[in-house]
Formats: sequence, structure tokens, C-alpha cells
Amino acid sequence: MSQPLLFYALSLLAIVGAVGLLMFKHPMNAAMSFAVTLIALAGLYGLLSATLVFAIQLIVYAGAIMSLILFIIMFLNIQPDDLPDESGYWYYLAGGAAALTPLALLLLYGINSLSVTSTPEAPPGFGTIKEVGVVLFTDWLLPFEIVSILLLVALVGAVVLAGKREGGND
Amino acid sequence: MADLLALLPLIVTTAAAIVVMLVAGFSLFGREVMALLTTGLFMFCFFVQAATLVSMPFFPYQQTFGSMLAVSPFSGVAGLIILACGGFSALASQTYFGHNKGYVPEFYAMLLFAACGMLLLTMAAELITLFIALEIMSLAVYVLVGADRERLLRAEAVLKYLMLGAFSGGFFVMGAMFVYGGLGTTSFAGISRVLAESGLFTSPLATAGFLLILICFLFKIAAVPFHAWVVDVYDGAPLPVTGFMATAVKTAVFCALVNLLLTDGSLLSVWRDILWYLCVVTLFTGNLIALGQTNIKRMLAASGIVHSGYLLIAIISADVTGASRTVIGFYLAAYALATLGIFSALSTLSGNDEKRISFADFNGLAKVHPYSAAMITVFLLSMAGIPPTAGFMAKFYIITAAFSAGQLVLGVLGLISTILSIYYYVRLIAAMYFTTPEDDFAITGLALAPAGTAVLAVAVFGFSLYPLGW
Repeated sequence: MSQPLLFYALSLLAIVGAVGLLMFKHPMNAAMSFAVTLIALAGLYGLLSATLVFAIQLIVYAGAIMSLILFIIMFLNIQPDDLPDESGYWYYLAGGAAALTPLALLLLYGINSLSVTSTPEAPPGFGTIKEVGVVLFTDWLLPFEIVSILLLVALVGAVVLAGKREGGND
Repeated sequence: MADLLALLPLIVTTAAAIVVMLVAGFSLFGREVMALLTTGLFMFCFFVQAATLVSMPFFPYQQTFGSMLAVSPFSGVAGLIILACGGFSALASQTYFGHNKGYVPEFYAMLLFAACGMLLLTMAAELITLFIALEIMSLAVYVLVGADRERLLRAEAVLKYLMLGAFSGGFFVMGAMFVYGGLGTTSFAGISRVLAESGLFTSPLATAGFLLILICFLFKIAAVPFHAWVVDVYDGAPLPVTGFMATAVKTAVFCALVNLLLTDGSLLSVWRDILWYLCVVTLFTGNLIALGQTNIKRMLAASGIVHSGYLLIAIISADVTGASRTVIGFYLAAYALATLGIFSALSTLSGNDEKRISFADFNGLAKVHPYSAAMITVFLLSMAGIPPTAGFMAKFYIITAAFSAGQLVLGVLGLISTILSIYYYVRLIAAMYFTTPEDDFAITGLALAPAGTAVLAVAVFGFSLYPLGW
């Protein structure tokens, strides 16, 4: 019975966090607001009995990635003077919202078309580490493996773009 | 075993990328040897791809790894184009970095990694695999664009490309999620099976999802109205990278788009009308942007938009049979030859820090370097679609396909766009031939790019003779 209530509460929290990310002027406040969204999303995954994704969302996104973002913001030591001039901010926001309204309406229409009643109950063991692992290493082995190439490219790319360079160009 | 054999080009390219990455990491070779090594590896991968393509003349739409990948003659040909683009870009880079700063050894590893992502993209037959392949390619290309940290122009280009590319990737993931929500599957085969049973419009969620996926593709091929990034990014990237982006990236993304849209006839028939309008807008907006440019790189970027428009004509007039894929493959190859050729020539002629890059900088080139000017002329004529070049045959096939598919208006609009485009191509030819030289066009250092340029110039003529079997 509490499930719909929890769902609405968590969804509201996620949306409030996302709006805060856009609205706060200082990056630190925006990042903290983003953390609220990530944690609320973890709660939503939990409601869907996706236990592994719930844990990963908390540990990796709300934990590791958020602290990396915070580290970077603190590293840059942003003062109020460094922030860009945002005088036309509301106009841009209004324009963007107006431009995206048709798309948002289409997506809402699409989601509303899903029949809620026919959704089957999750089978036992759904979303546990074992079940996800079995699916990942059988049906989804290829995408799982090519992610390693993606990570390799990202790693080398980060070194090229940010790494220390020695003297000349040759 | 046959499945693995079909994947051999991908495996070899990935291995080559890792080898070059290790060689770059240990700084074993200098700048020249790295370029030669990379070119050699690209040639080797090209021959592996060609051998795979020839030795399996009949591909029964092979399903590998739980239908995540599918190898077809079309993906094989796209792979050939991509690997050839990589090889010629490596040749051009060798010359380019002879008189430009910003060389890092990892540049060549990234070139191979990008090709590896593109090969995956051409074979992907499932939305999540497709997304990962798209990101491998995009990440590698971002690094290629921004590897030179000294110049602000590069930083601007990479920031714009990275931000907008990330957005379009987000659109794709969201679209894939909606498609899965609506149809219960992400594999192309599964999607076409569900669509055959129930039709697309029974699931608004999947319709919205396909729209988001289409937005991502249109962004990557720089179709109007998602073209705003292309001129600045192409302008900001180093010349060989611009050539690589304009040809290989476009080939890979078009191959993936065709694979998705032509899996099943109904998917294309739904989007045909929308694509029709987008295609017309793309053709003429691209021409308008190109007409106003004074910088050759920006003009070529804008003309890339127009060429995306021609390829969209081919997609719109396509049916599910193989013939339309042949036309698209031919156009991609012809366009790649001419574009790579001109970027290869520019890599040689642009001089230190890309100082010669506007139309006026090339005034009177024909009197100083007659052969270079002649080759640039050949490439420009091919892009404009003047016979007897490959570009003419490619445009001829596409317009014929449009007429035979009943798209008369689109075919005529394509012809008008071709006539418009002749102006900005011929403008450079006129500058090269009918003005007096102000510059001595001094070129420093031994260079491999002219060899590549010459090969491409011959290929532009040779390829136009290639018979298309239909």
C-alpha cells in the first residue's frame, strides 16, 4: 500500500534535485542537489526490486562519481567572481522549455499508453547479483566485452587530453 | 567458426589499436615511423576485411553473439571504406604534423580505436551494442580533435563536439529505453518481428523512442536542424582529422542508420515523410551555408551537410532489397575518395600552423604547383558531380534511384542542389587557375600525403568505372 506513496515521494525528490541542479548558481550547491536526484533514483530502482542496480547506484553514482565531481569543484576553488554572467538565464530557460514541450508531451503520451495492469510480477531472484550476472555473461556477453574497449579509449583519451607533456612536440 | 571469421577484421583492428597504443606508451618510435606503422596496420586490416568479404560471397545475414552483431556485404563494404579512410588519414597526418604542432604518439592509437568503434557500429544489430560502438567511436574522435591543447580553436571545437555529442548520446539511450519499453526487445531482428505483428503506431512509446534515436543519428550525420556544430568542429579540428571525421564517421553512422531503418520495411515507411522534409531542408541549408564561406575547411564542412542530404535521398527512396544499400555504399565510397583527397592535399599545402586555409590563400596555386592544383580540381569536380568522376556516377545512381522509386520532386530538388553546389566548388578552382600567385607555396619536409593524394586522384576516376550490379 505504501508503494505508490513511496514512488511519488521519490519521484518528486528526484525532480526537485534535478531542478535544483539547473537553478543553483554555485556549482557546489548544484552538485549537492544532483546527489539528491541520484539517491532518489536509487530508491526508485529499489522499488522495482532491482537490488543490484540499487546498490550500484548508491555506491558508484551517489558515492564515487559524486565525490569525484565534488573533488573537481573544490579543486577549482570557484569564487563568486568566477561565475559567468547569467543575465539572460530566464529567457534561455523559457525558450528551451517552450522548444522541448512538444517532445515532452509526446514522451508523456507514450508513457501513459503503457498498460499498468498487465505488468507481470518479477520472478523470484530478479535483480540479484546472481541473476544479473548470468544474463550479463550469457546473452549480453558481447556488449559487456566491448565496454572494455570503450573504457580503454576513455583512459587513453583522458591521458592524452589532460596528461603531462614533455617539452617539444616530437 | 564462421561467425568468428566474419568478425576477423574487427578483431585485427582492435589488436592493431592496442599494439599502436603500447608502442606509443613506450615511445618506441618517432613521429614518422608511427605514421608508417599505422598506415601499414590500416592496410593490413583493409586486406583482412577485403579477404573476409570476398571469401564469404554469400552472407545469410549471419547472426553472431546472440544476434547482437550482423555481418552483411553492406557492413563489409562500409568497413572497407572506413579502413581505407583511416589509412589515408594516417598518411596525411604524417605530412601534417611535419609542419604543424600538436603531435602526440597516442594520436595514431586513437585513429585505430576510432576505426574499431566504427567497424562495430557497421555490424551492430542491437541498440545497446550500437550505443557502445557509437561511444567508442565518438570518444576516440573527441580526443583526435582536441589532442593539441595549445590552440584555442581546438579547445572550442572539442568542447562543442563533446557537449552536443553527449547530449545526442543521451537522446539515443533514452530512445532505446522507450523502444524496449514499447516493444520488449532491442535487437533489430526482434524489433522488425514485433513491428510485423502489430505495426509501429500501436505503441506510442516505441514511436517516441525511435524519434529520439533518429535525432541522435541526424545529429551525427549533421542533417539540418542538427547541423549547427559541424562547421565549427570541422574548422577547429586538425586537417587530417577533419577529413577522417567527414568520411569515416559519416560512413559508419550512415551504415548503422541504414541497418536500423531497412531491417524492416515498415520502420522506413513511417519516417519517410519526415525524412523527406528534413532531406530537402538539409540540401538547401547546407548549400546556403557553403555559399557564404571564405574558409575552405568551413566550406567543405558545409558541403558535408549537403552530401548527407544526398545520402538521405538514397535512404528515402530505398526499399528493403539490397540495391539501395549498393547505391548508398557507392556514394559513401565516392564521397570518401574525393573528401580524403582534398584534405590530404590541404594537409600538404596548408603550411605551418594551417596558415593557408581561405580561398584567397590559394590564388594562383596552379602556376606554382600544377599537379597539386590539378588533383584538387579533380576532387572538387568529383564532389560537385561532374563526369567522368566517381562523384558524378554516385549522384547519378542516387537521382536515378529517387526517380525509379517515384520520388520525382526529391530527385529534381537534388539536381537543383547539385547545380547550386557547383558555384562554391568552382570558386576554388577559379582561384587556383585564373589569378596570379601571391604566395610561394613553400612546403617543408619529406611528405607521404602527396603520394596518398595521387592515389586518391586516380581512384576518383577508376572508381567511377566500377559497375553497379543492378
